[in-house]
This record gives sequence, C-alpha cells and structure tokens, in this order.
Amino acid sequence: MAGSRKQRRLLEKVRRLTSLRSTYEDYCKLMLDGIDRKAAEKIESGTAAIRRKLAEDNFAFAETEKIAEAVTEARVRSENERFSKLLSDAAAAGINLSDSEYAKLTAIYEKKLETIKSHAAEQAAALRREGIGSEACKKSEDDARKLCDRIRENCLHDAERKKESARSKYAKRINRLTARIESTEADIRRLDALDDSMSLGDGISLHVDGLKMYFGGVKAVDDLSFDVHEGEIFGLIGPNGAGKTTVFNCITQFYKPTAGTLLFKAAEGKTIDLTRERVHDVILHGIVRTFQNVEVVPEISVLENLMVAGHRQFTSGLAASALHLPKMKMENQVVRERARKVLDFMGLTGYADFYAFGLPYGILKKIEIARTLMCSPRLIILDEPAAGLNDTETAELAQLIRRIRDEYNCTILLVEHDMGLVMDVCDNICAIAFGKLLAYGTPAEIQSNCDVQQAYLGVDEEAE
Amino acid sequence: MDIKKEYIESVCPHSRKASPVGNIRNVFSQPVTQIALVGVILALLQILALNGLVSSSFVYALGNTLIYAIVAIGFCLLLGYSGLASLGTAGFIGLGSYAAFYIVQELGAPYIAALAVTLAVSIIIGVIVGFISLRIEGMYLAIMTLALAEIIRNLLMAIKATIKIDITNVCLFGVNVNEKAVYLLVLASFVVLMILTSNLTRSPVGRAMLTMKNSTSVAQAMGISLMKYRLLAFVISTVYAAMGGLLHMMYVRNMTTATSTLLTLSTSLNILGAVIIGGAKSLWGTAFGTFIIYGLQSMFLSKIQFFVDNPAFITMVTGVLIILVVMFFPGGFAQMVVMFSAWVKKKNVERRLREYGRQS
Repeated sequence: MAGSRKQRRLLEKVRRLTSLRSTYEDYCKLMLDGIDRKAAEKIESGTAAIRRKLAEDNFAFAETEKIAEAVTEARVRSENERFSKLLSDAAAAGINLSDSEYAKLTAIYEKKLETIKSHAAEQAAALRREGIGSEACKKSEDDARKLCDRIRENCLHDAERKKESARSKYAKRINRLTARIESTEADIRRLDALDDSMSLGDGISLHVDGLKMYFGGVKAVDDLSFDVHEGEIFGLIGPNGAGKTTVFNCITQFYKPTAGTLLFKAAEGKTIDLTRERVHDVILHGIVRTFQNVEVVPEISVLENLMVAGHRQFTSGLAASALHLPKMKMENQVVRERARKVLDFMGLTGYADFYAFGLPYGILKKIEIARTLMCSPRLIILDEPAAGLNDTETAELAQLIRRIRDEYNCTILLVEHDMGLVMDVCDNICAIAFGKLLAYGTPAEIQSNCDVQQAYLGVDEEAE
Repeated sequence: MDIKKEYIESVCPHSRKASPVGNIRNVFSQPVTQIALVGVILALLQILALNGLVSSSFVYALGNTLIYAIVAIGFCLLLGYSGLASLGTAGFIGLGSYAAFYIVQELGAPYIAALAVTLAVSIIIGVIVGFISLRIEGMYLAIMTLALAEIIRNLLMAIKATIKIDITNVCLFGVNVNEKAVYLLVLASFVVLMILTSNLTRSPVGRAMLTMKNSTSVAQAMGISLMKYRLLAFVISTVYAAMGGLLHMMYVRNMTTATSTLLTLSTSLNILGAVIIGGAKSLWGTAFGTFIIYGLQSMFLSKIQFFVDNPAFITMVTGVLIILVVMFFPGGFAQMVVMFSAWVKKKNVERRLREYGRQS
C-alpha cells in the first residue's frame, strides 16, 4: 500500500498541474480578448478628435431636418436612460411604486418626450449657419479618413504584436507544465502499481454491485446492483423511505457502504473504485450532486456560489490567498469567467450579483444545478430536482436536463417523485423498495411492471 | 451654437475616458488601501501625542484596544466565517504572553525569535484543537476550549506568579524598542494582520469557510475538505490570539498570572462579544466592536467625572450597548452601517421620484 500512497500523491500532482494548465489556457484567451478590447478603445479614442473635426466641418452641409432628427434622438435617448435609471434605482432601493404613481411618472416622461421633439425642431429651424461648406472641407475629409485608417492600422498592428507575445508567453508556460505533467505521469508508470484488475465495460459509466448500507439493524440498502450507461439519463424511483437518497450518499461517499462495489469510469477511461475515495475528492472525478432541500450559501452572491463549486480548480495555496498573489488573482478571474459562462447557459446572468438570500425557490434550484456544471461534470446526481416546482417549471426542468446532458456530454442520475418527469426524460429506470431492486428497464417496461405497481399502490387484496 | 454642439456630440460622441477622480476612487475602494490609510492616521496620533496635542493616555488606550482587535479579527474568521465556537481565546493569549516573557526576558533573544516561537507553539495548539473540532461541535467544542484555556492559565500560575519584561532589552532588527515605539509595533502588526485577513476573506479560502459554516455537506460535495479548513480556522485564530498576548507583554510589560483578568474567561467572552456586536462577518465591524468593549471605557468614559467616581457604571454602559445592538441589529454594527446606507439611498431615490416632474 506504500506504493499506492506515493501513486496517489503523484496523481494529485498531475491533477493540480492539469488544472493549472487549463487555467492558463483560459487566462490566455481572456488576455487576448482584453488586448482586442483595448485596441478597439484605443482606435475609438485616437480617431475621436479627427472624426469630431470632420463632423464640425461637415456641419455646414448638414440639412436642418437631419440636425433636428439627430439632436432629438440623442435627447430622447438620454431622457430614456434617466427615466429607466430612476425606475431601476427605485426597485433596487426597495420602493414599490403603486400603479397610479407609476402612471403619473410615465405621463410626465411622455410629456417630456413631446417637449423635446418640438423644441429640437424649433431650435434647428432657428439655427443660422455661419459660413458655407467649401471644397476645402471636402478635401480635408479625405485626409481625415486616411489618417483614421492609419491610426486603426497602427493600433491593430500593435495589438497583434502584443497578442503574439502574450500567446508565446503563455504557450511557454503551458509547455513547461505539460512537460512536468508528462514526467510525473512517467513516474507513475514506473511505479507500476496500477491496479488493472477492475475495469468497466464499454459504455458503462457507473457500476453498482451488491451495494449494502446498514445502519445498525436497519437495512437501508440491501444488495442493490445496477449499471448506469454513459450519456444516459437514469432514474432511480421508489416509494418514500425506499433508500434512494442513501444510494446517492453511498455513491458520493457521504456514507461508507457496509459492503459492495462502486466503480466509476472517470476521464480517459480510467476506472475508479469510489469506495476508496474521500468524500471531498469525489468531485475531482466529475461526480457532482444537488441536495433534496436546496442548499445554496445565502450570504455570498450567486456568482460566488458557483465559484465555490470551482474550489478545486484553484491550485494556489494559503500564502497566495493571504497575499493575493498574481497566481491566485489569475485563477480567481478564470473561475469567475467560467461561472459567468455557466450562468449564461442557465439563463441566470441577471442574478449574478444578487445575494442568494431571499431569492425565489425556483431560482435557488437552478443555482444548485448550475453549481454542478462548474467542474466539468461526468456524472450529475440530482436529488428530487422537481420537488416544489409547478407544472411549467417542471416542463422547463425536463428541457434543461436534456440540454445539460447534450451540452456537457455527461451522464445524469436522478431521484424523483414526479413520475411525469421521470417517464419523460429517463432512458432507463431502476425501481427500488425497502433497499432492494424491484425492477430495471425502460420507462414503458417499468410502467407495466406489476411489482412496481404494487409497491406504489399497495397489494390489490380483492384480486388475491 | 448650442445645438451645433449637441448635434456633433450625437454624431460623434466624446469617448468616455477613465477620469483621474475615478481612478483615485478605485484605489481607495480597495480594502488594502483603506486599512493602510487607517494605519497611517493612527500612526499620526502618536506624533500628535508626542507634541502634546493628544493626551498620551488616549494613545496608550488606543494601542491596548488594537491588541484586542488583533485577537478579535482572528476570532472573527473562526466564528463569523467558519461557524466554530471557541471560549479558549484567553488561554491562547496567555500562551503568547508567556512565550514573549520567556524568550525575551529569560533568554534575552530578539523580538523576532519570540515571534517565531509564539507562531510555532500556537500553530501546534491550533492544529490540536482543530482536530478535536472535527469530532465535537457547537457547545461541546466551546466547553472543551474553555477547559483548555483553564489548563493553560493554571499552568502559567504554577510556573511563574509574575511575568515582567524589561522593554530596554527588546530589540527588533537590531533597533531597541522603546516605550513609544511599541505603539507603532502594535499598529504595524494590526495593519499587516488586518490586510492578510481581509485578503483571505476575499479569496477561495474565505468562500470555502463560509460554505462550510452554512452546510458541511455542500462543502464536502463541492470538494472542500472540512479537516483542512477547520484546522486552518483554528490555527489562524490561535495564532492571532497568541500574537495578541505577545504584543500585550511588549505593551503592558508585566502581568500577575494569578490575578490578571486577561487570562480568565471574561477575556474570551469579551472578544466573543466584540465580534458579535461588531458584525461577525465584517472585519471593520469587529475592530469597531473591540473599540466599544475595550476602547470606549478607557479612552472616553474614564475621562468623565461621574464614571471615575463610579467605575461600575462603565461596565453597565457597555452592557446596555451590547443589549441594544443585539436586540435591534442582530448583524451588529456592520449591519447598522449597511442598513443606514440603504436608508440614505432610499431617501435619495424617493426625492428624485418626487422631483422628476418638476424639472424644467
């Protein structure tokens, strides 16, 4: 076992290095985007003076209606901004406007717009032009255009150079990391302690065999076996107290099973014996779960809640955190960007900076699911995701579960009481009662199974 | 002419550059800058005291408060962020005090050596308590740490009745630390620890601790090792408490272990009270809470004749303050500030809503 401990340490090292490498890759992309954005800003500000001069020269040529139109548009825009800012500020400050108050404000707003329109037209009509447009102005226009183009080219060229140097800088770091990863992997191979005795067949993601979980005399799960295939949506159903959640807790190592085999196919086809993993290491293999009663940290923002799920993507230690070293800042930025992407996918972008405290139940449920997407999931375990949702929300959830499976290319295991949802989304279903397997099959098979019907509806005594 | 400007602006808007004012505001919104700024202001007080503009007893009392604030911000990380209760703070302070006495006075070693030894000892103790916290929680943990603190106190009493430091022996980087410079030493320690703690709370470590406090099962499912972060929380709070003890020995310079209230439960409770009324999750709130509990009486109330005649009333004032704060603002002073700023904002928006129609 001594060899195994060393092997574990090396594997952990490989994992950290790989995580750091992917952070660098993402950071490099962020940097390149940043350079592009800065270049665009620079072009904008560099040519602004020239374009302004051009606009001033051309003012003499502009038609009165055009001027009135442009000015009206600008004024309406600014008034609109002011009005919507006022309303959003009021909402943020917790002021609830009554309908009559809102109507009054809107009336004032509309009246203001009317005034702006007539006023601008009057002003434009009253405008007296100084000087008349000349051919000299036309000539300067061409020059100005050329100058602008030159500035743009310079900026773009500059940005390209910067991007090139950034790319090579990060490529160097990434190559160095790759070299380290390879040498560590070679070390692991040299140890040659890899236990190849257990391996999963093709297409099987999770293999549960003879799982037993006893609490004293209570047999919560008794000799349960099933296979979950890769990329499928697998349902675990059963009456209350059948031991569904216990099965989940055994898979995620919250409980150490009394007996049984739990094998999982992790990345690159490696087979993992889950019973030998610590509970907080399970997530590293891509197994993430949600909880029956939503457990979102209320005192940090939604975005930070997602960043908590990316906790193991940080490789910086305590010193880096206490001193806010660049490495930690970089990782923080990358993980935040990943969290934003997930929020985008879930349609929660608007809630990013809200504190989770006091958000509606449906949103909290979504945040829980979003959290599972943060760590390149391979198996997502959903514990009663539809509990407390109404019919429309449940239908949305079914869509979402399928979308997650397709987008993230993962397997989904769900425990659910809502039979409509289970029959709708699941490819295969396993029904259990009193910790024992009742039936396994497709939704249609399960629905027609007598044992399942009896477990749910009770034994029909008249028939006997 | 006016409309010409507007037209050109609408056709070709001015690019919005970051104004220098905005940049400066950005720098000052950084917590590190704020802490450093407060440090500079507090250091200036010492200079004013040397010129006689501020009474030196005021600055002395302030230094004393800062020492307790160091202990309290460590405790804030433990209670407010990790959700672990401890009543052993006084014991850890005693540990630091004795280490300071032994290394500096008995062995005549420099301050740095005392610091290193204090750190090492308190880390060991912190790890031990942290391991225990994995087994027992809540009230039981508090009782256990209380017992530990009593053991340390009795141990100190048995070893040495009075511990005293001769400040002229103390040197830091080859410079002798005189009585005036100790204040700056305390202040520098406070600023550095405050910056480190503030950084920690805004890093993955702080998030992990908050998650652990709210739900251990979520923390574990998200890959956060309970053992690692509980140990860390206890080590940090123990180290800060021991640092407090060390600085207290430097600052006050003598202590009678048998009668000193510093080593009794009341200190642990006072620190707990400071963290609660300050706002368990806010470092500035905690520092302010310490000021209310320790600083208010020594800096202001003791100047009033009535309280000088009846010293018992000082504690009553603090007690009533604590009751009021906890009753009306369970989140402490930090919550009070947040609520006040929200109220100001609301009033402001209400005024804007009223005046919306009246503008020309």
